[in-house]
Amino acid sequence: MLKTARAGLRAHKVRLLLTSLAIMLGVAFITGTFVLNDTVQAGFEERVTADAGKVAVAVLPGKPDKGIAPETLERVRAVPGVQEAHGLVRGSAPLLGKDGKAVGSLPTTAISVVPGVLARTSIVSGTGPGSDDQAAVLDENTAKAEGFQVGDTITVLDAKQREHTFRLVGLFDPGVDQELAFTGALGFTTATAQRMTGEREFAEIDVAGADPVALKRAVASAAGAGLVVKTGDELASDLAKSAGLQIEMLTLGLLMFGFVAMLVATLVIYNTFNILVAQRTREMALLRCIGATRGQVFGSVLVESAVVGLIASVLGLAAGYGLSAITLAVLRAVDAPLPTEAAMRLTPATIGIGLAVGLVVTVGAAVLPARTATRVAPIAALRTQTEEQTFRAGMLRVAFAALFLLGGVGLAAVGALVMTPGEQISLLVVMGGGVLTFLGVLIIGPLLVRPLSALVGWLPARLFGVPGKLAVDNSGRNPKRAATTTVALTIGVTLMTLISVITASTRATVTVKLDDQFPVDYQLTSQSRESSIPRSIADELRAAPELSGVVQIRDTMSASGDVKVQVGAFQGPLKPEVTSGSIGALGPGTAAIADYAATDLGVKVGDTVPVKAKRSGTVNLRVVAVFPGSDSPLPTITMSAPQFDEVFGAVPDSTVVLNIADGVPAERARAVVDAAAAGHPTVQVMSSTEIRGEFDQTLDMVLMIITGLLGLAILISLLGIANTLSLSVHERTRESALLRALGLTRPQLRRMLSVEALVLGLIGALVGVVLGMSFGWAAVRAMLSGAVFSASPWQIALFVVVSGLAGVLAAVVPARRAARASIVGSLAT
Amino acid sequence: MTLTETPRQAPPAVVAKGLSKVYGQGDARVHALREVDVAFATGAFTAIMGPSGSGKSTLMHCLAGLDSATAGTVHIGDVELTGLGDKQLTLLRRERIGFIFQAFNLLPTLTAEENIRLPLEIADRQADQVLFDRVIETVGLKDRLRHRPNELSGGQQQRVAVARALISKPQVIFADEPTGNLDSRSGAEVLSFLRTSVRELGQTIVMVTHDPMAASYADRVVFLRDGSLVTEITSPTPQSVLDTLMKLEA
Ligand SMILES: Nc1ncnc2c1ncn2[C@@H]1O[C@H](COP(=O)(O)OP(=O)(O)O)[C@@H](O)[C@H]1O
Ligand SMILES: [Mg+2]
Repeated sequence: MLKTARAGLRAHKVRLLLTSLAIMLGVAFITGTFVLNDTVQAGFEERVTADAGKVAVAVLPGKPDKGIAPETLERVRAVPGVQEAHGLVRGSAPLLGKDGKAVGSLPTTAISVVPGVLARTSIVSGTGPGSDDQAAVLDENTAKAEGFQVGDTITVLDAKQREHTFRLVGLFDPGVDQELAFTGALGFTTATAQRMTGEREFAEIDVAGADPVALKRAVASAAGAGLVVKTGDELASDLAKSAGLQIEMLTLGLLMFGFVAMLVATLVIYNTFNILVAQRTREMALLRCIGATRGQVFGSVLVESAVVGLIASVLGLAAGYGLSAITLAVLRAVDAPLPTEAAMRLTPATIGIGLAVGLVVTVGAAVLPARTATRVAPIAALRTQTEEQTFRAGMLRVAFAALFLLGGVGLAAVGALVMTPGEQISLLVVMGGGVLTFLGVLIIGPLLVRPLSALVGWLPARLFGVPGKLAVDNSGRNPKRAATTTVALTIGVTLMTLISVITASTRATVTVKLDDQFPVDYQLTSQSRESSIPRSIADELRAAPELSGVVQIRDTMSASGDVKVQVGAFQGPLKPEVTSGSIGALGPGTAAIADYAATDLGVKVGDTVPVKAKRSGTVNLRVVAVFPGSDSPLPTITMSAPQFDEVFGAVPDSTVVLNIADGVPAERARAVVDAAAAGHPTVQVMSSTEIRGEFDQTLDMVLMIITGLLGLAILISLLGIANTLSLSVHERTRESALLRALGLTRPQLRRMLSVEALVLGLIGALVGVVLGMSFGWAAVRAMLSGAVFSASPWQIALFVVVSGLAGVLAAVVPARRAARASIVGSLAT
Repeated sequence: MTLTETPRQAPPAVVAKGLSKVYGQGDARVHALREVDVAFATGAFTAIMGPSGSGKSTLMHCLAGLDSATAGTVHIGDVELTGLGDKQLTLLRRERIGFIFQAFNLLPTLTAEENIRLPLEIADRQADQVLFDRVIETVGLKDRLRHRPNELSGGQQQRVAVARALISKPQVIFADEPTGNLDSRSGAEVLSFLRTSVRELGQTIVMVTHDPMAASYADRVVFLRDGSLVTEITSPTPQSVLDTLMKLEA
């Protein structure tokens, strides 16, 4: 039987090639992801080890937001065996750009650069600050972005917002430190770093010395309780682990797309083997006639699938390796904050998983077709004509489909309409509903093919004359095969539509909310995210005739009982939305509170909340309003402005919002706002369109990346369409010859197959769009309160058009083959 | 009914001159046709006979523009086939030729009526309703028009194929063993329809067969052996055809 399997492989090269490609793509994506993960992880390890290797022992704070007292450093230095010990300083110190405004959306992080044996900062050009308190180093990305070069003079703000100038003596690579890469980083001498950041305490103490293990014990007893002491090796492995966690999230995300691709590939393989078995009915029957057992026939199909699966997986493995090499090169080219320099890793685990997934999926998908093969009656060998596939809607099929569809839609409806929006469980319920519905569609699919092909084929049948009409008839001819083929495409289109609807709706919802609750033209915020906008700015803005509706919001951290809570106030004409009570009633002795805090603290309108005052004592505030916390600009506990000043002092503003006065051109208003903020480098001005634009860009990026990744699934499903069509061509060789004899030209025959593929593609897209839109809507309802449904018609039209065109593209090769066949030769078969 | 003995006025519908067809190369060369000269009269029913492998089908394919000859010329009416491209041949078949094959004549997705109208649809021509009704009447398919091929018997399917060939009033109908898959009763029915259509509609038919009984329905029978035209008889009877065959094979 091995021989027949081998003959089968040889005889169906093209079809098997297409199948292999489907598996290959899936395996390549998965193994590529693993190789990327392992390589980047290895890069992290290498860097971290090189970095932490210089350290014998490190002292770290017990809790993340705590520091290490300077006295601890003195005690550590006194420990016998300690050759050298340095405290590392880390804190905010906003770098000013050439326009005099603070760089980036977050303040730059400043660190101390230690000279000598414990130097862990890798200077890439120039020198370190050494012991020069007037020198600074800057990370290379920020330097490039802001146009600073070694030798330039840079201006940095200290903790009190005072400007200091430094000579830029070098550039450094922040390495694997994600925070530094994100905010941009400055390096100073330890003394300057302390002065600039205002941090007295250290983030870490590094110790040099021999025998780390013994030193660790000694340092630990000197440092005292509440601190963590690690050897350099331990530090390295912990750092590598935490870096690894970040990359693992990315890996997991990518693997989800790999999973979708494999799912689609499974359907394609299933279809291909069904096709192969159908094509070889006579051959199998002949084998049975001459004495092959059912088991042997079954085995021969499975062996065939195993060989295909294995070859494709090996190729996929190689392709995946190449894919990750390309990705790494791209990451390197765009200066991604990931280590890409490590040697590529192809671990045994990756090889094992890649081969196993490819093999299991292929053989698994071939099992059912192989079983069909065993049912071929020996007598079939003697029949000349292949029978028309008739398909009957079994009661069982309809019942199951109805069950799944009703259950799925019901579940999604509950998640979207009944459950609380914004909670994870609502979204999970909708997702569960989606999966059930999809299974329902999968089951009912064969029944949908004919009506749907009549629907989407209406126009092509009229547009393309006889070929069009025949094509539409043909597309519904083998409903089971057509359904499997199109479902593969449906998966990709559904997910794309879903993502498109979710992004469009999120955007629309946010816009509506901003317009409703925060109808402002400009917003001033502080880069440090703290209350640090001098009140004088708002006063100045309020005095300007070009502007109106200036609202100041300020806040500070305090506590209510044991619970830490943000307390603040607003001043100006703001009419926030409330869920109960009334903001108008806000006055001395009262407060408005965010809904989540009201739940946490167990208070409602009419109750009293205690709030800790700045220095001592507690004020009791009666709750007069509860507002939706997630969408409101208000501080969690909002008091009246006069009382807030009384209790907490003249805290600067955290946010100032304002409108353009009627009839004033936007440019003039903007100039006034910018002028008011000019003297304050860390105050950032954003117009409402900029606020939205920032958000839009993020969403567009997400949409683009996800759509790109889902493109893989679409590509694989195309292979399925090509496969199905080439089988149709094969099965209808004589029909095509007859049509050609009767006067159908070659282009007409090609067009017939193209239209058939177009119809298949459109069916897949149509079902996908309907599913994607419905569940996109349900998901948005489940995720966002007050969700506004929105879909981009052109984007969805694009998906449909691309699916149709893709179908036509898939038909090119089979159609050419059909058109080129000789009429006489085909008639004789 | 007796055959008209007077020579026909109309020019022949199909003429082949020096037609040769060689398959394969080198040692595997097969001369399927060797310099065949033959003409088929308009409005006549001609049968091509010969033993299996004598080149009957090949001759028909070359005459009908389905296959190209190695040498020689073919005229359908005033059009010469030699040198026509695929597109022109296709259009020629569409306009001037009808086909009836031994099996698999119909598209399974179409009803009998749609199958009958198919050549007209492909040519984008209107059906002559009077002719359509007459043809349907003649082949006796009135109550079967809405059925699909798999709901029809073999005889009925061939009758649909005959009706389809007639409906577009082609210059010539080529039939390759049209009764080869039928029982003798259904076969006789189909053959008499073919003869009726020649008599009553003036249709020209060229039929390939190896069945003397079938050949006897024709006005004239030409005999092929090893790719060459060897003899012909007019007003054949089953017996005269059989006798000629015996002589050929002797
Ligand atoms: N496509 C082909 N390739 C090679 N030889 C062929 C081909 N078609 C027919 N022949 C050969 O040509 C000869 C005539 O065949 P054919 O016209 O089919 O005869 P008939 O129809 O009289 O049985 C036979 O010897 C046959 O084997
Ligand atoms: Mg023959």
